[in-house]
Amino acid sequence: MNTAAATSNSVEMKEERIQLVSFKIGNEEHGINVLKVREIIRMSNITRVPNTAGYIEGVINLRGKVIPIISLRMKFNLPEAENDSRTRIIVMDMDNELMGFIVDSVAEVIRIALSEIQPPPPIVTGGIDQECISGVINHDDRLLVLLNLEKMFSLEERQTFADII
Amino acid sequence: MSLNCEDQELLEGFLTETTELLEKVDDDLLILEKTPGDMELLNRIFRSVHTVKGAASFLEFELLVKVTHKSEDVLNRLRKGELAFDNKIMDVILEAIDLVKLLVDDIKKDNIVERPLDGTLARLESVLADKHEESPAPIAEQTPDTQIPSSSESENEAPSPTETPDAKIEIQQKVEQESVAAGQQSSANKDAQDKSTLRVDVKRVDDLMNQVGELVLERNRMSHLNNDCLGRTNIDAFADEFGKLVKRISFITSELQMQVLKMRLVPVGTVFRKFPRIVRNLARDLGKQVDLKIFGEETELDRSVVDEIGDPLIHLVRNALDHALESAEDRLAAGKPRVGCITLSAKHEGNNIIISIKDDGRGLDPEKISAKALEKGVVTAEQLAQMSQKEIFDLIFLPGFSTKEKVSDLSGRGVGMDVVKTNVRKLNGIIDIKSEMGTGSEIILRLPLTLAIIQSLMVEIEGETYSIPLSAVIETLRVRQDEFCSVGGREVLRLRKTALPLMRLQQRFDIRGAESDREFLYVVVVGIAEKRLGLVVTRLLGQQEVAIKSLGNYLADVPGIAGSTILGDGKVALIVDPAKLIDGGEVEMYRHASSF
Repeated sequence: MNTAAATSNSVEMKEERIQLVSFKIGNEEHGINVLKVREIIRMSNITRVPNTAGYIEGVINLRGKVIPIISLRMKFNLPEAENDSRTRIIVMDMDNELMGFIVDSVAEVIRIALSEIQPPPPIVTGGIDQECISGVINHDDRLLVLLNLEKMFSLEERQTFADII
Repeated sequence: MSLNCEDQELLEGFLTETTELLEKVDDDLLILEKTPGDMELLNRIFRSVHTVKGAASFLEFELLVKVTHKSEDVLNRLRKGELAFDNKIMDVILEAIDLVKLLVDDIKKDNIVERPLDGTLARLESVLADKHEESPAPIAEQTPDTQIPSSSESENEAPSPTETPDAKIEIQQKVEQESVAAGQQSSANKDAQDKSTLRVDVKRVDDLMNQVGELVLERNRMSHLNNDCLGRTNIDAFADEFGKLVKRISFITSELQMQVLKMRLVPVGTVFRKFPRIVRNLARDLGKQVDLKIFGEETELDRSVVDEIGDPLIHLVRNALDHALESAEDRLAAGKPRVGCITLSAKHEGNNIIISIKDDGRGLDPEKISAKALEKGVVTAEQLAQMSQKEIFDLIFLPGFSTKEKVSDLSGRGVGMDVVKTNVRKLNGIIDIKSEMGTGSEIILRLPLTLAIIQSLMVEIEGETYSIPLSAVIETLRVRQDEFCSVGGREVLRLRKTALPLMRLQQRFDIRGAESDREFLYVVVVGIAEKRLGLVVTRLLGQQEVAIKSLGNYLADVPGIAGSTILGDGKVALIVDPAKLIDGGEVEMYRHASSF
């Protein structure tokens, strides 16, 4: 009786699903936890902020709030590209601060089971820090790299977003 | 202890009421000390303590009841004339009130501990038992109710010479001191926690309601206009109506803005009220006689400013007492009145509030300061030679600077003045020192009334729009680029016989554009105190009131940028930080270029 309950519990846990927003940057497809995503908006006018790191595109006005916008392309050291009609900004909640990330396109929200997440292989992509890759997922024959964007900006890095050139 | 809903309400009511009563009692006691005959005052104090006792008894706070009960007894005797009022009794009562505050604080933190009451209770008892001549002098005097949050261990080393040291009593004193010091600290912390609520005059809230009512009416008109316009094609009539609507809504919005800002205003007296007590205690500890005068307590400023200005002011007053004021003998020898005078005042000036701390002490000694600065290696002899007296005074704001030989517990560690300056800067304020040797000094703080909204000069730099706070702008000029000269590798502009150092914002902010090709450029002269800097921009766009929006934690420290604002078209414009740009050392050479 007990073991049956125990195993069904662990099966349930494994079956626990999370939802990811999948988006593309260049040829790579990534996923992030939908719970962290506040909204997804179209590209808008970005005001440049001088003397900041290269991947910080600037700031925008999000309904009265001024939030920083990061170019994931730049952060991942990918070649620059033109924004097109599919470019979006994913606004995320990072420790109670809103931040926007520019991505080439947003695909869909997918549900996956935690069990489907495989540990990241040692070298996935050159540009991204290993730390922010929390795993990879094989979904519909596509490889999705699961990102943990909060880890991307370590505390000191966040505090010194302003580069002194 | 877990309380149910009603009890929680009762408790909160008790805490609010008691805190207020105790603050008032504190003030009243100090006034009473100066005017011991004031029966009205004495009665008021008695009633307050009685109220606190009643409430405490109702809520069954045993410790609190004990202390307030005894205190009430003493006060009762005093008001009936059975006890005569003197300094020692005052000390005991103040000590008791401090203990009460500590206990109330414990209750607030839901952390009721066994506090050592016996010392205080014993002293209250002895006051009740004896007539004032026989009250135990050593005990009363050796309880300095220090307000210093840091450990007051070193204070023990200065007992008054008339004491008959008694080992047992001394140990008890140490415990008392620590608990009292802890009490002061926790009440200081408590002030910090109280930040989340605000007392607002009901009239202000009513005014606000009225304005909101007007806004609702305008909104209705706007809807109505919208509906009408959907049907009609009469652009002219629409434009006319719309224009009027815009005017009215602008007006109402401005009014609303003013009123909400006013709600955040708090009289500076809430900060100033701490000072009589601090000064009294400090003066007693230092053995100096001081008269504290306070003016302008009703002057209002923004709540957030009030919260931040307390600590710097305390430090400045301590400094004045410790360093500036001479001992009674020195003063008499110098022909000054025996009692030193410190004046704390506040007043409005335009969009700013000016807070001044003035003393009639020994004044700042430029020689001493220069010597110390040289010794610490913060300036070279050549630099010193070029400095004006004011600049020498400014040296005391450097970190680690202190001309006091002995580091006492109160000051002299050299961390104070630069922290004060930083805090004042954080509030977008400036701090100035005026001093005359032998006569006294005055420290002037100039703070903006509101932090959130400023008048700004909008400028364009090669296509990008920036905002420069108007408070820093001295003048604007349109110049030909070929009028720029170069001195020591830096660009300057000749401005009425002086050299104005220039900073090309296009370069500073890394903006792409062909600025160097332009024939004409604009120079915005900004200044902080006496320093000047000319910011080179492409075009002036006009003056505008803007609301400052923070850039958030991640972008908070971008050099040269103070914040951002949202323009009418929804775009974000960055606000320049003139103070940071000026302090960036660009103004160095202003001194060197003597004549052109």
